[in-house]
Amino acid sequence: MGEANKNIRNFSIIAHIDHGKSTLSDRFIQYCGGLEQREMEAQVLDSMDLERERGITIKAQSVSLDYKARNGEIYHLNFIDTPGHVDFSYEVSRSLSACDGALLVVDASQGVEAQSVANCYTAIDLNLEVVPVLNKIDLPAADPDRVCQEIEDIIGIDASDAIRVSAKSGIGIEDLLEQLVERIPPPKGDPDAPLKALIIDSWFDNYLGVVVLVRVIDGEIRKKMKIRFMSTGRDFQVERVGVYTPKTKDLDVLRAGEVGFMISGIKEIAAAKVGDTITDAQKPAMTPLEGFKEIQPRVFAGLFPIESDQYENLRDALSKLKLNDSALFYEPETSQALGFGFRCGFLGMLHMEIVQERLEREYNLDLISTAPTVIYEVVLTNGEKKFIHSPSELPPVNKLAEIREPIIVGTILVPQEYVGNVITLCIEKRGVQKNMQYMGNQVSLTFELPLAEVVMDFFDRLKSCSRGYASFDYAMNRFEAAPMVRVDVLVNGERVDALALMIHRDFAQSRGRQLVEKMKDLIPRQMYEVAIQAAIGSNIIARSTVKAMRKDVTAKCYGGDVSRKRKLLEKQKEGKKRMKQVGSVEIPQEAFLAVLKVSDK
Amino acid sequence: MTHIPLSLYIHIPWCIRKCPYCDFNSHAASNGLPEKQYTQALLTNLSNELPHIWGRKLESIFIGGGTPSLFSAESIDELLCGIRALLPFRPNIEITLEANPGTFEQDKFRGFREAGINRLSMGIQSFNPEHLQALGRVHDREEALRAADIARTAGFDNFNLDLMFGLPQQTLEQAMQDLQQAIALNPTHLSWYQLTLEPNTLFYKSPPVLPDDDLVADMQLNGQHFIKRSCYAQYEVSAYARQGFECRHNRNYWEFGDYVAIGAGAHGKLTNPADGSITRYHNYRQPAEYMQQAMQGTARSGTERLAAADLGFEFMLNALRLRDGFPVALFTERTGLASDYIKAGLEQALQRGLLDVEGGYVRPTATGWQFLNRVIQLFLED
Repeated sequence: MGEANKNIRNFSIIAHIDHGKSTLSDRFIQYCGGLEQREMEAQVLDSMDLERERGITIKAQSVSLDYKARNGEIYHLNFIDTPGHVDFSYEVSRSLSACDGALLVVDASQGVEAQSVANCYTAIDLNLEVVPVLNKIDLPAADPDRVCQEIEDIIGIDASDAIRVSAKSGIGIEDLLEQLVERIPPPKGDPDAPLKALIIDSWFDNYLGVVVLVRVIDGEIRKKMKIRFMSTGRDFQVERVGVYTPKTKDLDVLRAGEVGFMISGIKEIAAAKVGDTITDAQKPAMTPLEGFKEIQPRVFAGLFPIESDQYENLRDALSKLKLNDSALFYEPETSQALGFGFRCGFLGMLHMEIVQERLEREYNLDLISTAPTVIYEVVLTNGEKKFIHSPSELPPVNKLAEIREPIIVGTILVPQEYVGNVITLCIEKRGVQKNMQYMGNQVSLTFELPLAEVVMDFFDRLKSCSRGYASFDYAMNRFEAAPMVRVDVLVNGERVDALALMIHRDFAQSRGRQLVEKMKDLIPRQMYEVAIQAAIGSNIIARSTVKAMRKDVTAKCYGGDVSRKRKLLEKQKEGKKRMKQVGSVEIPQEAFLAVLKVSDK
Repeated sequence: MTHIPLSLYIHIPWCIRKCPYCDFNSHAASNGLPEKQYTQALLTNLSNELPHIWGRKLESIFIGGGTPSLFSAESIDELLCGIRALLPFRPNIEITLEANPGTFEQDKFRGFREAGINRLSMGIQSFNPEHLQALGRVHDREEALRAADIARTAGFDNFNLDLMFGLPQQTLEQAMQDLQQAIALNPTHLSWYQLTLEPNTLFYKSPPVLPDDDLVADMQLNGQHFIKRSCYAQYEVSAYARQGFECRHNRNYWEFGDYVAIGAGAHGKLTNPADGSITRYHNYRQPAEYMQQAMQGTARSGTERLAAADLGFEFMLNALRLRDGFPVALFTERTGLASDYIKAGLEQALQRGLLDVEGGYVRPTATGWQFLNRVIQLFLED
């Protein structure tokens, strides 16, 4: 059996948002001379505008750097970036499994946060060598000793020799690179075995087609070779392979232990699924790599264009986004109230927000989104089971045996003083406490929570009841029977399908009341009175009224006022276009999401 | 081309101080006004506009502001004499001057009357001391009450009072008291309008607490009843008059007539008799700059020829403010456009019960009258 290159180091950085991952990776690139100074655009790796704005990495990427160590040897460092949000935990696990080690970067004043903990556990489970790093060491508020203690208490790894750096001012970067080379092991793997390469990520490029980011585990992948995707059995011919330095650099071959890109004439990313194994079509491996999962959207919402003639544009935009986002699911949906649109599936709320924002910003669409809902598993009286993605798909009550809702296991990390608040919140959200552990000043809480409750406004509430200190991570667990009911909303006596909601029976009454009250505030007064009702079946459970507007007249308009008044009325009319006419009532976009706001008090 | 009436608007851009709700072009007067210089600029400005209005007679003149009553009777006399020398007046021409209580005394008013002013418009706004203060007015209740006396004694039988409702923290009773007080002074005309927070005002930036929409609507409803019982007829959204005393100058705006405008920041609208095209223009706003430009014959800072699409809408924006609406033929007469231009909007409004066509007149229905903005928006191009 051969041996992979001893001088390769494949690593990832685990860090909470704002703890300095991007700055640190920029430093590495700069230090190893990957880019000229003038080519350094701050935070090279987060390439989407949205990513840069939100400071979140959505797509995994990689960069290969050559580092000349103090011992004189040249090391080939492959930094594999990971997505940084709970919605993308599967992608994180795949990125991490391509590595042999990870730097756990913790802000020396802020301490450990739940997101890092969850990712760190994933890394440890995958047998990665985790090297703790304290960043922002030069800030006056830095308390490295406390934070080291926290790392040991919470994560349970030795932090006594944590490397202290400041990515921003460049302190300790060389020491960090030395430690990285020393402590993170070289890749294992057999260069002579049949090819096994892990798909870390894939994306669509307008010129190249699908680009696949791979880590070669065994064997090698070379130009012109015929390869096979093991989950689908489909074969392709390799056109190009190479690495990012971070500039694109073509090579003839990627060998065991190496990380790089591969292009092979694939047209849609669904063919190159994250976590899948690529093998040699002529000499296939016996078994694929472990851990591959089909991605399942968890949260669903209807997206409708405000102007019905934008439907085709919305479809085009979704299909373009889908090219690069295999987790995005969509299918046509028709609503009586909103016309033609799409029911879309997302990994989570952040994913949904990102997609919606990109559609509005990059494709210039005005959209109405219906309230997000989770998937329910329903059991019919004839024993048949099916999944529903929208309240309107709920079968009639007389055919319904059981509704099962998705349950997640959530981990919350919070300073002691807010534990009470957080527990109260979780219980209010129908949570069941599973574990509580004191770790220094922090408390780690484990709760089982219905995903539907998490989708609503859990993040915001969690942040506000802990003054922003609590952090949260979750994983899907199971479907469980729950007494859910569909609450319909009627506007002036007309059932508006797009406003229907699934609510736990015990909360239906109070949520219904809050919802119609909130809608009353969000729907502007119109020429006629508007009645808003919430109903379960034919039973009205709550009602509110938007009083009729009494007048809408410009008080003054003399010779010099005409142009200004014209502009004012034009603007008003423009504003009305952003509302949806339902029957005779104009409903603004935000009213369709009123349910997300019912607990704003 | 049929005859389109022509008015003259003159802007005097100074006030003792700027009121927080006012979005007109007015500037706080500091140590003395350049009256002579400004009067000269106005006359030069007008003589330079003459080519656009050649051979037409003036139906009305309106001297507005600002506070034109800050000017001396001599300056107003000089101004009107100069205008007479430049333009023919129709017999019985209406010549209005805006005056604010606290800025004039008996003698000055007599002088205005002698100069040829035959109508006064007085900016009372309220008689309630607290509201006067909230509005930043320079006068008090006593001065407001005395203003009408002074006007009448000076020979002004025809005067308007400007009054507002929906004032900060105003109650229904207070709004009605203001109206009763105003009508007790027996003006020939009443401009009674709702306080609106206009952009570029102090109130817009830091809004006062205003009565809610329902209360304001109640004020309007009650007030309108009271005004009607007091024998004033409402002929426009905010204008009420004794029979025969409607403001001809303002009516001309609403009937989409022409008006030549002189003075800082003044807006004019003129029809070109040669091709029927309609132009809006405005003058330089800053008094000093205006005077300098006007003397060089370049008072206008912007001129815009109205597109057909805008014309239809602008006509409706004005004409539908009149309670009796407008004769169908007036549209073509004033805009030069075929009535097709408003056909679609008209049909929609008729269908929704917002407008009526009766006896050759297009007029808002009772509902349309309450929701005039929505009616007018039907005539906006998409």
